[in-house]
Amino acid sequence: MSVYITGIGKISVQSSTASDGFQEPHYYEARYARCVDPVFSDYINPMEARRMSTIIKRAIISTQLALTQAGVEMPGAVITGTGLGCIEDTEKFLSSMILDNEKFLKPTYFIHSTHNTISSQIAIRLKCNGYNNTFVHRGISFELALQDAMLLLKQKKISTALVGGHDEMTPAYFGLLDRIGYWKKEAVRSSSLYNSTTSGSLAGEGSISFVLSEEKTPSAFACITDVSTFYNGNGEKDPSAYIEAFLASNGLKTTDIDLVMTGVNGDVNDNMIYSRVTEKIFNKNTIGWYKHLSLEYFTSPAFGLWASAECLRTGNVPEFLKLRGPDNSKLKHILLYNHFKNRNHSMVLLSSC
Amino acid sequence: MQEKVVVTGLGIISAIGLSTDETVKSLLSGTSGVGKITFLDTVHTAIPCAEVQMSDDELRKALSIAPEEIITRTSLLGIVAVREAIRYATIAPDTKLRIGFISGTTVGGMEKSEEYYTDFISNDNHREYIDAHDCGACTEKIADYFKCFGYVSTISTACSSAANAIILAAELIKNNILDVVVAGGTECLTKFHLNGFNTLMILDSRPCRPFDDTRAGLNLGEGAAYLVLESESVAKQRNAEVLCSISGYGNACDAYHQTASSPEGKGAVLSITKALKMAALKPDQIDYINAHGTGTGNNDISEAQAMLTVFGDSLPPFSSTKPFTGHTTSAAGGIEAVISILAMKYGFLPQNLNFATPMHDLPIVPLTRLKENEVLNHVLSNSFGFGGNNSTLIFSHK
Repeated sequence: MSVYITGIGKISVQSSTASDGFQEPHYYEARYARCVDPVFSDYINPMEARRMSTIIKRAIISTQLALTQAGVEMPGAVITGTGLGCIEDTEKFLSSMILDNEKFLKPTYFIHSTHNTISSQIAIRLKCNGYNNTFVHRGISFELALQDAMLLLKQKKISTALVGGHDEMTPAYFGLLDRIGYWKKEAVRSSSLYNSTTSGSLAGEGSISFVLSEEKTPSAFACITDVSTFYNGNGEKDPSAYIEAFLASNGLKTTDIDLVMTGVNGDVNDNMIYSRVTEKIFNKNTIGWYKHLSLEYFTSPAFGLWASAECLRTGNVPEFLKLRGPDNSKLKHILLYNHFKNRNHSMVLLSSC
Repeated sequence: MQEKVVVTGLGIISAIGLSTDETVKSLLSGTSGVGKITFLDTVHTAIPCAEVQMSDDELRKALSIAPEEIITRTSLLGIVAVREAIRYATIAPDTKLRIGFISGTTVGGMEKSEEYYTDFISNDNHREYIDAHDCGACTEKIADYFKCFGYVSTISTACSSAANAIILAAELIKNNILDVVVAGGTECLTKFHLNGFNTLMILDSRPCRPFDDTRAGLNLGEGAAYLVLESESVAKQRNAEVLCSISGYGNACDAYHQTASSPEGKGAVLSITKALKMAALKPDQIDYINAHGTGTGNNDISEAQAMLTVFGDSLPPFSSTKPFTGHTTSAAGGIEAVISILAMKYGFLPQNLNFATPMHDLPIVPLTRLKENEVLNHVLSNSFGFGGNNSTLIFSHK
């Protein structure tokens, strides 16, 4: 059974929040970029917004955009993937605790510091008493949330789900991850990330929400057939074998995949894993990428899911999403494949609907 | 028809013991783990907490983890509990089964981040701990110790994290995605949590008194606990001893307030009702409820109201075991699931320590004394988190 993506709201480092229609890409020549935020007061009462951290505002807005597009008022479940949760408020509480030696602390930042604040705030706003969950596992946080929603939908426990991938990259956390090699030491033009020969990626952030539905509606972008992840803690697994098995369990061969949407991020070590896989089992397929548009963060695959879904909706893969491969006359199946440091791998199978 | 999911292993570490055996002993003897802070480096030394009685160095030594290895207390506690659970279930390290690990945590590696944050910001001195900060990193540290997990996931829904990890484990098994899952949660005591809860003014300066009229807040604890879950057929194939089945579970959101429960306990009513429905049980078939029962003014009255709404006149014996273990936040759902299953296995009803005066507005009375030689067929465990993340688990005898 497939599940339909019927609404998407996106806030990213790209300038548009519109999920239908590819806009001219905005490329950066920097090590780090923040989201191009919509005008928050267009969506949230400023009195309410004052108490919200950036990530909450973004999550609420991307949620609202997705629900509106899908024509859904009350989702059956609210499920969030976030690598770092509400890191801005966590940092505020942590630094004042350290600075003032555990004195004079105010509860507000603590209250909003927990990872599940995002799902909770969405539920409180919608008065949604349904299933509510939050996944916080590094580079597969979003895909785990997606898998959870798929399980509920496929068993018909719910008929719609709101699934989001939300992360903010605060300057402080950018700096911390910079110390341990997450980012390139030099500013690189994002459009040429693929050819980079250095380690590290470019830092980004984003807040992307999806409405999944058991029923096809006029706003449907695409179907999600299956989601799977595997753990490669010792680095000894061959991702190709897992991908082939994943496709086979869905009755498909590698040649059935019209577009392999990879998580190529410009880190020479990460890119190598994608190269090995695509050379081994997808050497005749069209290979795509999206992280030159989203930049890199824990839940960046959510951007990849939007890009893939939009390709399927329009039946077209724009040139700026292609790395190599033939022009396909048909676009039926897309494999969204991502890995995080070759430790966590995820596969999402999408089809046109 | 989906297959029955059974529990074949338990592992636990908390202030009342380093294993299931020690935990049972403390529960039977009425020995609380709440006391003076001795390990956490904090200015708030007068606030009672329930610490695991082992230092990081002792934990490392017990697990043969080298002093230079990058690991946080949250992961160390997790490893102790997972190790016991895996041994309990007699899972071979080289198993060919599809085995997953799902852990609930909120603070993750915060314990080291709060120690080294000034360095993190300004220099490279302790930079190796930066990558140990996030919740997923803590889960992977535990997974890597055992080398057998092909699937890892981390859930963070505050104080119901471990319960939601157990629910997801059951779902993945029922849907034939995994054969065996080790699921639960781990959380160490941190200054971050201690100060956070302190600013909310919900930490009692005395041992906590859940459901008591004089209750004045919770005592923070720390620990880890995991269940080994698998399908009945896999358990049969492996000749594993089945402790119980997970017959029902429910997850709902109170959707009321970030840190307060609704007065009527709406989310709790929903999560309990969903779990009962799934287990196809009538309320009067539940033999024991391990309540969330934190000891805060708000939680206990809201939970009591929810229990009365669902169970009415047939409210089963219930207790909060948090006066024993402290509130272990993200680990609580795991710790209390293990305690509930141990109660079923050994036929006892744990007491609600420190209770003396029924709540004025809702005078329901928890178990004030230990009861032994009981037959428990169905036990229910509640876990509620900030943000209204309410989850309920039901375990049934075989």
